Order: sequence, then structure tokens, then C-alpha cells
Amino acid sequence: MYCVRCGVRLQDGVESCPLCETPVWNPEQSRKEHGYPDHYPLAQKESGLPFAVSLTVICVMAITVILIVCLRLYGELRWGGYVLGGIALFYIVAVLPRWFRRPPIEVFIPADHAAAALYVLFICLHTGGHWFMSFAFPVILAGCLLLTATACLLKHVRGARLIILGGFLLGLGGFTVLVEFFEHLTFGTPMFLWSLYSLAGFAVAGGFLLLSGLIPSMRASLEKRFFF
Amino acid sequence: MLKKWYRLDTAALIFPAIARKDWSNAFRVSATLIEPVDQEVLQRAVDDMRGRFPSFFVTLRRGFFWYYLEESDLPVKVCEDSAYPLTYMGNRELRQNCLRVLCYKNRIAVECFHSVTDGWGGSVFLSNLVAHYLELKYGIQIPREGLLCDLTQPPPAEELEDSFLKNAAEVASGRKEEKSYRLRGTREPNGFRTLTTGIVDTQALLDAAHRLKVTVTALLAAVMVESIIGMQNDRLPRKRQRAVKVTIPVDLRRLFGSRTLRNFSLVLNVGADPRYGDYRLEELCSTIYHQLCAYATPQNMAAMMAANVQPQKLVALRLAPVFVKNLVMDIVYSRIGEGGGSLNISNITGLPLPEVITSYVKRMEFIIGPQRSYPNNCSVLSYGGKTYINMIRNIRESELERRFFSRLVELGIPVEIECNRRS
Repeated sequence: MYCVRCGVRLQDGVESCPLCETPVWNPEQSRKEHGYPDHYPLAQKESGLPFAVSLTVICVMAITVILIVCLRLYGELRWGGYVLGGIALFYIVAVLPRWFRRPPIEVFIPADHAAAALYVLFICLHTGGHWFMSFAFPVILAGCLLLTATACLLKHVRGARLIILGGFLLGLGGFTVLVEFFEHLTFGTPMFLWSLYSLAGFAVAGGFLLLSGLIPSMRASLEKRFFF
Repeated sequence: MLKKWYRLDTAALIFPAIARKDWSNAFRVSATLIEPVDQEVLQRAVDDMRGRFPSFFVTLRRGFFWYYLEESDLPVKVCEDSAYPLTYMGNRELRQNCLRVLCYKNRIAVECFHSVTDGWGGSVFLSNLVAHYLELKYGIQIPREGLLCDLTQPPPAEELEDSFLKNAAEVASGRKEEKSYRLRGTREPNGFRTLTTGIVDTQALLDAAHRLKVTVTALLAAVMVESIIGMQNDRLPRKRQRAVKVTIPVDLRRLFGSRTLRNFSLVLNVGADPRYGDYRLEELCSTIYHQLCAYATPQNMAAMMAANVQPQKLVALRLAPVFVKNLVMDIVYSRIGEGGGSLNISNITGLPLPEVITSYVKRMEFIIGPQRSYPNNCSVLSYGGKTYINMIRNIRESELERRFFSRLVELGIPVEIECNRRS
């Protein structure tokens, strides 16, 4: 049996040409003897566990050493509190997801931000500041919402990557304005000193991505010119 | 007792460094017998190979400064083949064995991590394995000639040497090459590899090559370049196009009289630049043939070897920990390792086997996996009057295969197609 389009000879029993998908019609067709079995190999993904275990051991050792040094020298934490908080933050952000085969971003991004907020709260209380509730908390909350929404949309919505990234950049522009607004409220700095410039930059880039996502011909043309 | 270990040869150093979580560089050689394979007898044959081919029964280990191969305690177990060849060979597996022996119906296949040996070394191993299997199964005596070795003897030192170190020139040639057009497509889920085998009559292929006054390798490379140029024409305007080159491994054993079973080959990128104008197949054949003749000389190859050997001698690089070396090699490979060609065409020719084997083995094949950054690859092996052209891909689209094999048919070479896809 030959493929009428490619002209190649085909194995007995195939239903279509493997090269061009042209269907094969053969009334005397016999059952195909396949050259390879049905059996698929088990997935052999490398585990991140050994790395996570190593980093956990290193973190525990560092915490122990810092605790011993601080308590022996000063009888209290002093600077050790900042370092311990930093290590805890690093562990939650960088090490904790490695214990999972597929870390759920919907959980980990808010968890990372919550850990960051707690660390910043500790610094605020330790330094006697009054800026956490009026500045740090709303800024971290806004960042958390923006990142979580973007990550979830990228994960669950197929085929709209450019639109989502465009929206993210516009959101990032709005975020910088929000940061300056809370800075103004808390520290009394002049309003809109720098954030409008960044908003303009992000709006241009985000708008461009949004348009590219919405207009298929524009997307195809860009892909042709910039593929690598 | 201290286990025997081997330094990686010069070409092998790159493969552990560039491996990914879902990709590693491996190849397969297989032989199809006239009768179904007896798995138990094959296991005995595999076990008997260990003494003569110790460098194949190894695990990949990571030292502080370099990777190395260490004799493996674990037996290489004969397993059933999978739905597709060259399934992922991950770190976990490489820490146990760098070699797989698989069987399915009449076929015996050997899959090997590229740090252990190259295609020729793999063919030698498979030939000896098949010969020993036939001896055990049918009680026949096979003369130890051609590729076949005496399994009771240990390997001579020259089979285990790094021939790159011995034959490299003093002056290195430059590595810089213009980037070639990159094929692309929709990735297959779960790492599936589609293997399309084109079976052609070797004499018909030789006749076509002689008509065009070139070698078979040059002819196949020219047809491949023509197919890729056609695909690029459909996709990009001429001004935006890139050169189209294919990467052809050159077996250095014949050029330098080496008997090593470690890696000893280098690659040449040959092709044409479609921005300069249209090419007829005759012109492509001629230019590729002459490029191969010009570059595949002992002098040029020795200078290319030096480009790989010299960095190994730099004290700063030698003293760098293995993870730093990995990083450097990964970057070098990403920039110049794969960019020079659109795909590989690896051709193993002239396997000298005793006649008694050929009456039991009806088919032999050689398959290389897709490279890290380009989705298609091609490997060729001639055996028993047939040439088996294996085109493998990790994407859905079969456009390249269709163009390539249809063009061979147009040249008057009948092609029979087999494929491992089920629907």
C-alpha cells in the first residue's frame, strides 16, 4: 500500500500515512503488526527533596548557632532577631515549596507575602516604628493580590498569556502609584513625585501586550520578526 | 575493594553538564532477529559481556571537580521496550547504570548514555551482544572477526583511552559559527518521541548519490537541507531567513587509526544560506559534499579537537568545582553547541559482521534522540542491503519527515515508512 500524496510505501494495516495524515483505504486491510509495544515508561521526574533536606539542615544549624551566640553574649536576641526572621522568610519562600512535587502557587504566593508581612511587622515593632498598618501592610497586601491573581490566571487560563501579562503590567503601574500614595500618607512625602512616570512606562508596555494579545495578526507579525 | 573508575573522555564531559530534568543525551542501537528474543538467554549474554566491556557497565558519579564513570555493582537487567525509543534517562537511573538492554518481539535494543561511548562504540557492543546471544541460544560458533571480540579476554588499553588527548593539535581552530535556522513545533505531551523509519534500498540510494557525484551522507544532508529551506520559505520572508545547516558527526577512528570504544567523533555543520538565492538539489549536493571534503581532514579535525582539549588544561577551570564547570559548559553549549545546525544526521556505515550473524539478524538500526533545543534528529544505518533512516521528533508536526521522504521518492528511491505512532 502506498500513500497517494507522499508516494511512500506504508506498513500493512495503517489507517493513515504517518507523514501527511492522508487516510489509507484498503478493503483487504489486515491488522497492523506494531513495531513498538503499548507500554509507556513510568515518569522519571527528578525529586527536589534532597536539596530541600540539605537546605533545611543548613537553616536549622544557622538558627541554632545564632541563638547560642546571641543568648550567650547578650542574654537576649538583639540583632539575631533580624537574622532569624530573614532565615525564616528565606525558608518559607525558597525551601518550603521544594517539599512538594507541584507546589500550589495559590497557596504559596499568599503564604510568602504573609511571612514577609510578619517579618516587616517584627522590624517595625522592634524599631519602635508606626508605619506598619499605614504603609507596609497595605503595600504588601496589594502586591500579594496582584501577583496571586496573575499567577492563577497564567496557570488556569490557556491561550491568553499576552493579555494576562499586559494586565499585570498595567496593575504594576497602578501598584507604584499606590505605594507612593501610602508613602505620602505615612511619611508626608510629596504626592506623585515619581510614580506617575513608572505608571506611564508600565501603561505603554502593558497596553502594547494587551493589543498584541487581542489582535491575532499583530501577534503573528511580531512572532515572525522576533522569534529566537 | 576499590571500584574501577574512568575519567570522562573529552567529548563526554559536556553531557552530564547539559542534562535537564526531562532530557539527557542518549542513543540507541538495535538488532532485529529472525525469531523472537529469549529474554532469559539474553540476560545471560548481557551478564557475560561485563568482563570484556567494563566501560559500558558503569554509573555516572559526581566528584568535586569532575564527573566520572564508576564500575556498577548492579546488573544491567533486560527489560521490555517502551512505546517509544530513548525514554528519559534521568540522574537516578544513571547513578545505577548508564546502559539499558531492551527487547520486544524479535528486537534487541541497547540504549546508552552518551558519556559512555558514541554510536560506533554502541554498535560494537551490540554486535558482540547479539553474537554471544546467538551462541548461547543456538549453540553455534561465531568467528571472532571484524567487530567481534573474544569475550574471555580483558579489553586492551587502547579501547579505553581518550583518543582526543592523544591526537589533538597544538593550535585550536575557532568555534564561532553563524546560527542556523531552528525548527520548531508543538511539543508532545509526556516526552513522547515519534520515530519515523524510512527503509530504502541501499543500492538505489548509492545509485542516486553516484548520479549526483556525491556520497550517501552528502545526498541525505542535501535533501534534508532542501526540505528545511522549503519549510523556512513558507514561514519567513527571505530577508529574515537564516542559514540552513545540518550537523554531521565524523567518526575519527578511521582518520586517526584509533581503536577506542569511548567517544571519538566530532561534528561538522554543513549547508547553505538561502538568503543568497535559491538552490537546486544538484547545487546543494555539490556544496555540501565539498564542505565535507574540505573540513573532514585530519589536520582540521585535530585543530577542532584542540579547541575541546585546551580548556580542560586551564588550571583555573580544572580547579573550579563541578557545579561551576556545569554552569560554564551549559552556557557554552547553549551559545555555540547546538546553534550551528538545524538537526543532526548521524550515519553509521560499514558494520563488518561475520556472515553467520547476518543469517540470524534481519535488521539493524541506529537512533539518536532529539537534541536539547531542536526537536528533530536523523540517524542512518545500512545493513543487509537496506538503509534504515530513522527520523525522531518530540513535536507533533511531521512536516519535515514528509518533505524529506517525499523528495527521496521523487529522486527515484522507493521508501517504505514505519512509524511508532498509534493514531
